[in-house]
Amino acid sequence: MRIAIDILIGISLFFALAGVVGMLRMPDTFSRMQSATNITTLGVLGVIIGAILYTAFVLHNYEMTVKLAIIGVFYIITNPISGHALAKGAYKHGVRPDKEMEVNRYEEDLGE
Amino acid sequence: MIKQKMKIDKERIKLKKARFPAVIATAIVCFLFWLLITGQLVMLLEGEPSWQVLVAGVLVSVGVSLFSAKFFIHSNPFYIWHPKRLGAALLYCVIIFPWELIKANWDMAKRAFSPKLNINPGIVKIPVEMESDYGLMALANSITLTPGTITMEVTEEDGQNYFYVHWIDATADGEEGTQAICGTMQKWLRRIWK
Amino acid sequence: MSELLFFAICFLALALMLIFRIAKGPSVADRAIAADCVDMLTDMALILFALYSHRGIFLDIALVTAVLGFIGTTFIAKYLEGKL
Repeated sequence: MRIAIDILIGISLFFALAGVVGMLRMPDTFSRMQSATNITTLGVLGVIIGAILYTAFVLHNYEMTVKLAIIGVFYIITNPISGHALAKGAYKHGVRPDKEMEVNRYEEDLGE
Repeated sequence: MIKQKMKIDKERIKLKKARFPAVIATAIVCFLFWLLITGQLVMLLEGEPSWQVLVAGVLVSVGVSLFSAKFFIHSNPFYIWHPKRLGAALLYCVIIFPWELIKANWDMAKRAFSPKLNINPGIVKIPVEMESDYGLMALANSITLTPGTITMEVTEEDGQNYFYVHWIDATADGEEGTQAICGTMQKWLRRIWK
Repeated sequence: MSELLFFAICFLALALMLIFRIAKGPSVADRAIAADCVDMLTDMALILFALYSHRGIFLDIALVTAVLGFIGTTFIAKYLEGKL
């Protein structure tokens, strides 16, 4: 059981590292937001599932299990809302990429 | 166009009063949540619950659901308790969505680590086939949660809903775009929410 | 289990690396999204420390930090769009 928990937390650490490296390297604001969702989905879910298994089967402390489940459900529901709101707000504020995007249907429909 | 949408929202909220089955359905969910948080579920299974806590839970959950039932339930209070829809929802949450998540995360990690970045960003417009409010919200949230795609706007033109999606590797547009971005998820979500 | 402590220190090191993006980013949206990610990485370090020391009180702090981070990011986004 402890080996499974360590593997889950290790996977989560690997994807968090990939997200941070992507965020430092990408040349464009919207591409950095795509890399940020990489951190906040698998970087968080691995730790939460590993922690639920640890508190339910090794520590036998069920109060902590319920609190962790509440944190996990809250992250899954509210993380895409803040990502969508920030992308839409940044585009309407006037942030554009340095190189022009090839396909940009939003710009054509925004002028009407 | 924004003023038209605000008028329609006010009409819809004013017409419905809190009907009785809606209050009951919300109160049941609130009471289950109360049992989980105060630790009485384990004690009920062992056989010694504390009656004051249970009575307080019933009062609190009925009081809360009297105020908030008309925001959660739109047309049919016991819509989700159909066995086919519950089974499809459970299968979607446990098997199908985590598999899509892992595939997209691995793809994005490969692009972040490669020596020369091969990204090709663009904003495409895809038609979707959902009609209810909950279904549109679930599909837009699922598209944004998988890395590589971010939903930017939800609009409607002559009875068909369109999404504007920012994609990190924009290859297709229109119908093929829907299949490439969210084909599997849309098929399963249509089974739950019409 | 002392490897939980090692993982927590690794998460904190990743959070420190993101401060460079907060300082450099040429627009406001860059800084907001980097601050949100720093929030989540320190949250994970708090959860792992709560597992290491067998106390359930650190999980309450983690929940409150997550809620405040989400609210801050959404308010900044609504202000940038012009609909505050």
